[in-house]
Amino acid sequence: MLTPLNIAVIVKLEPDFSEGNVSYNPDGTLNRAETKNILGPHSALAASAAFYSKVRYGAHVSIGTMGPPNADLILQSAQQISDADETYLFSDRIFAGADTLGTAELLKAGIQKMQGKMDLVFSGHRASDGETGQVGPQTAWKLGFTFLGNVIDYEVDVEKRTVRAKRSIRLQGFHDIIEEVEAPLPVFIAIDPSYKSVFNTASQRLACEKYKKEANDRAQNFKQYLKVLNAEQLGADPKLIGLAGSPTIVFKVEKIPKGKAGRQAEVVDGSSKEEMGRVVARLRQALSTMVIK
Amino acid sequence: MTDGDYRHLYVVMEQEEGKLVPVSLEMLCEARRLMDDFNIKYSSKEKVVALLLGDGVKEISKDLIEHGADVVVLVDNPELRYVRNTIYTKLIAQIVTDQDVAAKIESVDVGNFKKPRYMFFAADSVGRHLSSTVMAELDSGLASDINKLVIEDLPLTHQIKTAGKPLIYEKTLEMYRPDFSGFLWTTILCLDNRNPTIERDYHPQACSIIPGVFETKEADSSRNGKVIEYSPRFDQKDLLVKILDRKIIKSEVDFDACKTIVSFGRGIKESPEENVKLIEQLASELDAEIGISLPLSKKPISINQTIDSKYFIPDRVIGSSGRKVSPKLYIAVGISGAIQHLAGMKDSEFVLAINPDENSPIKDECDMFIKGKMEDVLPLLIESLKTQKKVVQA
Repeated sequence: MLTPLNIAVIVKLEPDFSEGNVSYNPDGTLNRAETKNILGPHSALAASAAFYSKVRYGAHVSIGTMGPPNADLILQSAQQISDADETYLFSDRIFAGADTLGTAELLKAGIQKMQGKMDLVFSGHRASDGETGQVGPQTAWKLGFTFLGNVIDYEVDVEKRTVRAKRSIRLQGFHDIIEEVEAPLPVFIAIDPSYKSVFNTASQRLACEKYKKEANDRAQNFKQYLKVLNAEQLGADPKLIGLAGSPTIVFKVEKIPKGKAGRQAEVVDGSSKEEMGRVVARLRQALSTMVIK
Repeated sequence: MTDGDYRHLYVVMEQEEGKLVPVSLEMLCEARRLMDDFNIKYSSKEKVVALLLGDGVKEISKDLIEHGADVVVLVDNPELRYVRNTIYTKLIAQIVTDQDVAAKIESVDVGNFKKPRYMFFAADSVGRHLSSTVMAELDSGLASDINKLVIEDLPLTHQIKTAGKPLIYEKTLEMYRPDFSGFLWTTILCLDNRNPTIERDYHPQACSIIPGVFETKEADSSRNGKVIEYSPRFDQKDLLVKILDRKIIKSEVDFDACKTIVSFGRGIKESPEENVKLIEQLASELDAEIGISLPLSKKPISINQTIDSKYFIPDRVIGSSGRKVSPKLYIAVGISGAIQHLAGMKDSEFVLAINPDENSPIKDECDMFIKGKMEDVLPLLIESLKTQKKVVQA
């Protein structure tokens, strides 16, 4: 009998950027008070990647998040997606204000407290609010796991204990590359935004249905699967987490000053048919101009 | 800490098969500018050090010196042909903390050199992860996606960092980062803890730099520099990842092949499906490719699956986190013009914007501004295009 795969997913509570839920201030910045919080979309993808292993390999899945007490609701959402066997909320006032290094230190401690030794850990590509994309790789490094980022597809060889993954590498001003790699477990994977799990065979689809039903049942009673851990219970070194363990601070936030106007715009009334004729003539002219470069 | 502990600005180069990725030279030119000012201001001789890892990349060293590097630390080895996170992270961390390398950089006694003062990486698929793991290894702070840098002596009072006492942080790198909205600039600092209860040095002060924001200057062939060849020590456990295959991907969305690009943004939100149809019609009248602004790739609007998977994808994003384009004609529909978007389209020859708000930043980057909602403007514009085409054909 093969040892079942043991998987962890780290997820994050984020502002809901979807239209109708997100609220912006008149100056175009996010109105945090009016915007509700949800399981971040990249986190949701990471949870779906774990669900893939549940269906394909019968993996044991644990989900963890660092956040305020009400972040347990996103663990419920993530359990609904992944059919997680266990969920963990790492919550303590001293975690607040951590930068990516302080957060990674805490998540490392959290993952090490989860049941069993991990074979695979998933994170999202980045958070929609912080957008640094640093917490995944830094947590991986602190765990001593091989890190694979921008993963768009993966398979595990449960017998050989290896993972095969496709990565999408984008280099601005250069070509993009799809790279296929193989690495022995344990591996930490940050899931690319274009990841999509596909279940090809009838038996996979059958298993998918079974686990989806189980996920629904579990998510309805999500508190039963939830463990809440504070700093002491995690055994995290208070000097390495929270504000004390964060090298960086936000020094100031300002509106980006409007640059010098790059161009002088001619303003046209959008309700006038005649004006539109003039616009079109101008566009045709722009398109036909020969430019010697 | 003494001033000899932390020295120089180290810049991590990116290359593919021996060709530099453009952001590498952009970072070097900005590093040169900063350190020239730094050396004048502080009467010092700290260097810009380029780290070049790869296989058969020696040739590029000259290029790096001509673009501003004082020193190139070169690691040329078949194992480094492609970036693998573990081995690259270990090597970079080794090099930047190596006393012998530091001694060679300055050819004078470096005393107690510990780590770099500053470090730059590229904010792309490679540098983003590499910067994270290198800084986790070096135990210091990292700001991502930076587009402006300033070095200052800063008077600071901070609850945690200084235990509430006023202190001067010398030679501090102010790292400016446009936030997700594109309208706010956050300045990030990486500061030592000088609070006695949690005292700790945090160096280097590091960041990743958005590709395309800093200018690459002309090569200066009169510049001299030093190339230090570094012999790596490999541990087999750092080489566990096997690269099985690499394919170059040509995007299905080919902005370079079109004279015209029509892009849309959050302004479609009131009736997204109808508006996308109008944009498709406009694009088809002009043989244009269709682009989007970054917020739309985050799928904030619920829309039918076909439209979603065709348009709301990273491949279509124009801006600093997507493609940089310079068509003959660029039409921005319902795009307010966040700084990230402007960075991707401002080299277009003629820019037309359609927007109800005359105060939106896009107005300063367009040649013609049609004031109005796209629901009203686009049908008129499309009709006008059709009429004029008929006239031309007749």
